[in-house]
Amino acid sequence: MIDFLQNTLDGLALGSSYALLAVGFTLIFGVLRRANLSFGPAIMVGCYAAVWLSLRHAVAMPALFAAVVLGSVAAGLYVERLSFAPHRKGSAIAAMVASFALWMQLEELATLLLPQHIYPFPPLLDAGPLAFGPLVLRKEAILLMATAVAVCAGLRFLLYRTRFGVAVRALIDDPTAAELTGINVSRVFLLVFALASAIGGVAGFLIVATHEQVTPMLGMWSTLKGLLAMMLGGLGSLPGAVVGGVVLGLLEAHSQWYLGPQLRDLVAYLLLFVLLALRPPWMNTQSAS
Amino acid sequence: MLVVNDLVTSYGKIEALKGVSLEVNEGSITCLLGPNGAGKTTLMMTIAGVLKPRRGSVRFNGEEIGGLRPDRVVGRGIALVPENRLVFPSMTVLDNLHAGAYQRSDSFEADVERMFTRFPRLRERAAQQAGTLSGGEQQMLAVARALMSRPKLLLMDEPSLGLAPLVVEEIFDIIAQLHRDGTTIFLVEQNAHMALRVAKHFFLMEQGKVTFSGDPGSLAEDEVIRRAYLGSKA
Repeated sequence: MIDFLQNTLDGLALGSSYALLAVGFTLIFGVLRRANLSFGPAIMVGCYAAVWLSLRHAVAMPALFAAVVLGSVAAGLYVERLSFAPHRKGSAIAAMVASFALWMQLEELATLLLPQHIYPFPPLLDAGPLAFGPLVLRKEAILLMATAVAVCAGLRFLLYRTRFGVAVRALIDDPTAAELTGINVSRVFLLVFALASAIGGVAGFLIVATHEQVTPMLGMWSTLKGLLAMMLGGLGSLPGAVVGGVVLGLLEAHSQWYLGPQLRDLVAYLLLFVLLALRPPWMNTQSAS
Repeated sequence: MLVVNDLVTSYGKIEALKGVSLEVNEGSITCLLGPNGAGKTTLMMTIAGVLKPRRGSVRFNGEEIGGLRPDRVVGRGIALVPENRLVFPSMTVLDNLHAGAYQRSDSFEADVERMFTRFPRLRERAAQQAGTLSGGEQQMLAVARALMSRPKLLLMDEPSLGLAPLVVEEIFDIIAQLHRDGTTIFLVEQNAHMALRVAKHFFLMEQGKVTFSGDPGSLAEDEVIRRAYLGSKA
């Protein structure tokens, strides 16, 4: 029972990071109806920018945080301008392939700049997990969960209580009608990309600060987890992305404990396979068209 | 007010507009009739800036607006009620109206109230998702949303499409009412009978060209209807 609770707790923390990645991924997918494969690599660029900075100067944690987020946003906007802006009304596949090309480019850039495979990332908080009776939880995990809740609440406010939110939801519903009501569509796209990349950057910062290391694999890993969580949550729904992220985290934590690390990822993919085969009504398989 | 001159718009190599010229006078209701595929919607979308013209000009109050981005066209004072209404289905009726006022920096709450007074059924459904409204209600919402930008010229693309006859009557009453209140309206319609009742002037369009222009009395209605549905070659 203790094991189960401990796994659940770990799964929630892991799931919070997946939920953040999925929310960023879904924001772009929902608004553009395009999968941005460079979503993770842009976050990786942000983390590399922070590492690059920390290797040269003694920088405080807030500055590292800013470097990750700003680096992710800059890389995200670069991806938008090159991969998505030219294909806004064109083929979704062309945009996706272009974003794949930029993924390769960003990964190459990172490894040219910092050629080692692994770089240390300074720890965020002083060591020592918190104990709750027999259960233990790292402070980073608590921060991760709190951040996920705060980001979701903030995003909800932004989408449902502001003028920008009206524009974003209008674009998700009907891009042509959004243009006709006077919304500057390409500017909103750019802002959505910036927002999604910033959320991804926040997630990336917390993830690398928890692992205390950065590798070029972070890019692929982030895209994969964001995509997987989004698909589990029903393709294109933001609340779904949060649920998908948490479910994915719980699934991984439990299957790692009961089945071992080799089978951990298999369980998530198996679930995705079953869901895609059965297509329950909440899986919105039409939203890509 | 609106002067379209020799406008050409194409989809790839296919020219949908082959040099369209027409004029809409301030304060009028002008109607554009024609069979399916004549290019009526293409013309509306080109004026609204969604499609880019290949050649020709669109002048609005003397200024060239051809090829401007759609949000800029809205900024100049032209709003399009698109074919099939295109309300934002997952947004509430109220949010749809707010989206219509997207470019306005002044307070528009008074206008929301005016829309609710003009369309009482929208007030009843203010908090409802627009996708759950009936076709007629969605058409009213699409009109109200367009009016929220306070346009000088209202473009309407087939507002009667897919609506029951009684609802069509209601929509045309609204159009006549808007006209009495001083809105200039440029209307695309398949329902020639209803359109000729409200229009002050009409154009016939066939195969990407304007083939007739006149007042409702200047061509026998059955002839208009025949050409509007079938084209002059039929």
